[in-house]
Amino acid sequence: MDNYQFLLYLRIGLVAILYLVILQVVLVSRRDLRQAEKPATASISTRARQVVGRLILIDSGSTQYKPGQQFDLEPITTLGRAPTNSIVLESSFVSTEHTRILYRDRSLWVEDMGSRNGTLVNQQTITQPVAVSPGTILQVGDVRFEFAAA
Amino acid sequence: MFSRHRYRWTELWLLLLPSLFLLLSLFELLVVHNLKTPVSTNKLPPLDAFTPAFGLIAALFAAHILLVIVAPDSDQTLLPIAGMLTSIGVVMALRLGPDVGQAGLGNKQLVFAIAGLGVCVLTVWATRDLAWIRNYKYTWAAVGLVLVGITLLHAHSFSTNAPSRDVLNIGSGGLSFQPSEILKICLVIFFAGYLSENREMLAASYIRVGPFRLPPVKHLGPLLLMLGLALLTILVVKELGLAILIFGLFLAMLYVASDRPSYIIGAVLAFGIGALAIYNIFPYAQQRIAIVGNAFDPSQRLGAGYQIVQGLIAFANGGVFGSGLGLGKSWIVPFSNTDYIAASFGEEFGFAGILALVGLFMLLVYRGMHIATRAHASFNQLLAVGLTAVFALQTIVILAGNLKLMPLTGMPLPLVAYGGSSLVANYLIIGLLLRLSQEKS
Repeated sequence: MDNYQFLLYLRIGLVAILYLVILQVVLVSRRDLRQAEKPATASISTRARQVVGRLILIDSGSTQYKPGQQFDLEPITTLGRAPTNSIVLESSFVSTEHTRILYRDRSLWVEDMGSRNGTLVNQQTITQPVAVSPGTILQVGDVRFEFAAA
Repeated sequence: MFSRHRYRWTELWLLLLPSLFLLLSLFELLVVHNLKTPVSTNKLPPLDAFTPAFGLIAALFAAHILLVIVAPDSDQTLLPIAGMLTSIGVVMALRLGPDVGQAGLGNKQLVFAIAGLGVCVLTVWATRDLAWIRNYKYTWAAVGLVLVGITLLHAHSFSTNAPSRDVLNIGSGGLSFQPSEILKICLVIFFAGYLSENREMLAASYIRVGPFRLPPVKHLGPLLLMLGLALLTILVVKELGLAILIFGLFLAMLYVASDRPSYIIGAVLAFGIGALAIYNIFPYAQQRIAIVGNAFDPSQRLGAGYQIVQGLIAFANGGVFGSGLGLGKSWIVPFSNTDYIAASFGEEFGFAGILALVGLFMLLVYRGMHIATRAHASFNQLLAVGLTAVFALQTIVILAGNLKLMPLTGMPLPLVAYGGSSLVANYLIIGLLLRLSQEKS
């Protein structure tokens, strides 16, 4: 086999590797999409009913809710003015995506989402995720809640 | 903090392919070196070929190990795709080096690649909390504009022969970078921060003027101001490609944020008017556009059209399967290692290679959009969309320029073209995308 024939095979091999990368990434992407579909369909029935805690409204601020109203907390609960949030607070003091409450390590965590007026836990403005327990007071804009067990 | 630690097996497996590519390329270059009838006039010193190939393999796996530690749950395809593109870049720099009179070009590109991978991992690590990026959006925009401003002041002391005035030298060590690379990342962050806060306003409220619905000036004001400032500075630097990139970026993000086609129609009209004004004011814009039409004209063939025509000849010489690595003559194209890297690659890997290259960029864009759709907060979504758009637009602008479909602009092919600031900035974007993919909920 002379050098030029050998080089021809090498050349085809190099281009083949490029296509192999593309094929592999497409396969990985397809697997990602399938995995993303499965938990989504399964979780609608299970996760939707999984209540990890409750919020009781103390001060409704300028929203239309009534004090004493209760909200269920899911593993991820978002609070804000945008209609996409789990708990929608129609108040001009609340940012579109204001606060989120996560259930991790058997505890509830409050995290500010970069809101303009800040998130207050027991009247302290929080700068990083804070673990909370029942009885803690949460203030989002001009709305105040109290945490309660599920 | 919350992540389940697991090994990134997919990434490890995918990284084997760029490594194989580097080794095979090295092998081919050595075989070509020993051919009885030399093709290239300047031979590559055999030992010089080993460092870039093995160095990049080591750097890619080092980045992989660091990502396992820093961000175990982030996207596993981004690093292999970027690594594959960088491998192509390093191999082309290595191969073209002796022919463009810089024998150590491969080694230089390797150093840039290592710096880029380092910046990528550092970005992933530094942005564990994305809030600090979001909160300082005006600062980021100001940083970008100040950098470009300094360059403008510097530009006067440069020789007018330089192809681009978009260069900033640091100290006297010959270290220089293009501030526009930083500017585009800063602008993406600013647009993402501003649009995510005013998303509702932009989507909902508008002023009616006859049949047209205009967006509220109050909310669009800061955006348009920033866009105008960026475009103005770019016009002074004479980088039209960059202007297209930033405008396209703005459009893509505005559309994703507002979901209103009317903005796009309005913006495209504004673009048409702006382009017409630039065409009439700046003679160099007229030259650039005229050359697309008459590059083969005998009077232009060896003048302004030289680079474009030589590039097309290189593409044509490659045919379907290419001339083979090391067997092309792409150094006949001016700037074959930077602006015309696609032509060099197209000649040696052929149409099949170019198609694969475009495929790799499409996958990169697909993964970026995939990350955007899965992001939870709207800032993260818009940031992912904007960063991905930077890749897509750069690739389109330079590839179309090389193929004489659009006026040629001096924009580097992301991750492939020779050049430090572009490579490092693009790896910074990869780092941000990796971080955004980690934030699942």
